[in-house]
Amino acid sequence: MSAIAVGRRRALGRGWGRRLMLAIVVLWSLFPLYWGLNTSLMSTGAADSQPLRLFPHPLYGTNYADLLSLKQSGFSGLASQLQKALLNSTIESVGSTLLTVIVAIFAAYAFARLDFRFKRTILVTTIATLLLPAYATLLPLYKIMSSWGLVNTYTGVILVNASGFIPLAIWVLYNYFVGLPRELEEAALVDGSSPLGTLFRIILPLSIPGVAAAAAITFLFSWAQFLFPLILTTDLGSQPATVTIAALYGPRLVAFSVMAAAGMLAIAIPGVLSLLLNRYIVTGLTAGSNR
Amino acid sequence: MTGLPGQRHAATAQPPDHQAPRTVSSPPWWRGRTVRIQRQRLAYALLAPLALFIGVLTLYPTAVTTIEAFFRVDALDPNHGFIGLRNFHNAFSTPAIDESFVNTIFYTVVGTALSTVLGVWFALLLRERSRWRGLLLAIVILPWALPPVVEALLWSRIYDPSFGPLNWLLKGLHVISTNQVWIGSNRWLALALTEVVQVWQMTPLSVLLILAALQLIPRELYEAASVDGASRWYGFRYITLPLLRPGITVAMVAAITTTLNIFDQPYILTGNATATASVGLETYVVSFQNLDFGQGYALSLLVTIVTAAASLVIMRLVYRRVEF
Repeated sequence: MSAIAVGRRRALGRGWGRRLMLAIVVLWSLFPLYWGLNTSLMSTGAADSQPLRLFPHPLYGTNYADLLSLKQSGFSGLASQLQKALLNSTIESVGSTLLTVIVAIFAAYAFARLDFRFKRTILVTTIATLLLPAYATLLPLYKIMSSWGLVNTYTGVILVNASGFIPLAIWVLYNYFVGLPRELEEAALVDGSSPLGTLFRIILPLSIPGVAAAAAITFLFSWAQFLFPLILTTDLGSQPATVTIAALYGPRLVAFSVMAAAGMLAIAIPGVLSLLLNRYIVTGLTAGSNR
Repeated sequence: MTGLPGQRHAATAQPPDHQAPRTVSSPPWWRGRTVRIQRQRLAYALLAPLALFIGVLTLYPTAVTTIEAFFRVDALDPNHGFIGLRNFHNAFSTPAIDESFVNTIFYTVVGTALSTVLGVWFALLLRERSRWRGLLLAIVILPWALPPVVEALLWSRIYDPSFGPLNWLLKGLHVISTNQVWIGSNRWLALALTEVVQVWQMTPLSVLLILAALQLIPRELYEAASVDGASRWYGFRYITLPLLRPGITVAMVAAITTTLNIFDQPYILTGNATATASVGLETYVVSFQNLDFGQGYALSLLVTIVTAAASLVIMRLVYRRVEF
């Protein structure tokens, strides 16, 4: 049997059977999102009618137009709430990502390139905190943030997010840095560059895919956060979109086609980011997962 | 995640030959003693921000949770005293919390099993390199990348008794004849459907972790087996599955941590309903609605200990060191 035939045999299924199974995977992954989009593009009357419409018919853009409109009309402030929440999500996610990646770059560089006492202990402790559930820190973090006066502030959410995501970002960047050849850095050190200089002039320019992976993963996690912002933010001043959408949906008073449009707006940014950067995200998430 | 240092990034792995000429007897000046001390100081300076974050915002709060679980911490009761296991005893004798333990075990067992099986299945499908694999991977990871709150909102419509496509699909397939109320009629059905939403969200991570392990298996192993006339099932059972153990271990640990801490999906789908509430949801309710932080600490500590213990058990049972 030729090597090609053997290679083919390794994949699950062949020909149409395999294509059918892949179609099921795609349908499973996309259908709930498609259904939300479909519902959001219909008027409430069309969405809540029998028989179900598999395509938005008639096509109706008013849900989006109303939610994105700067004039306040119709939804009694719903549009302005969602817009403010999306702005809050953006500020908190960008802030958490910047803070996380900066702290993680320095730490990952120290772990990957410098020798110091207790290195292994510190690294293992850092990575082990990945296994701590949110509940281990939930109530104390709430008390710490209230005593620091950081409840209902961007800073509070950003600090808590960063404390949760720094270990994973370090793990991604550490694995990336360790994989870089040392020759260029050593050449730079011979030429009189400081260790910190080699980090900025040699390692970071070579590590753009690793930094992109750490940043994208951190951004997606920050955007998706719900439990911590739920307890740390009680008003629109700092509530991210996840908390606002949960609050709007809770009493089941807003028509679902409008809720669906709000939901699609809340997943637009992470959705596009994930589609654009999926290569980096995939390598970042699987960094060092073997052995 | 064992054997940390020396790990090479899979995507940038280099053949080790460029390290060969590094057997110099005396170290070059930039690795000398003074430089080493300077670099040690630099290392601690670079780690200072990490130490602040991990120390103040992770380890210290974890310690507080561990200690306060044995104290009375109640906003309505100013007596802050040591009460031993009273918080735990009170928790176990509250019917709603007892139900949440059962629910959480259900979520964890069903969710971990489903996401692992689906993860292996999808990874096997995506194993073959093809023109479409990049696009397929981008599609498959999408549910992982989006906020679970919004996903649960979208799924709630799928389960909707009047206008949900689930009823429409099952009526079309003649599985049911009239519209069903999916969430709210039967507790176990509601639990299963809530967990499906979480499985949908977390399976992509399992797929990626298992796929990464799959791609390390050398194809020569299959060639040797097929020369010996082995069947495809034999290849899966005796080559693929044993060599996937490290990948499956990481995927299962991630799944257990996620499912034991489920919060967003039941919060959106069923609110605080006792029938589907997880321990996490009860923690939130007793702490922020009943303002009994002591009991909240006790539940938090329980979840933390169970998460760590379950992860260790999976590592012991599933993990085997693999050498190629």
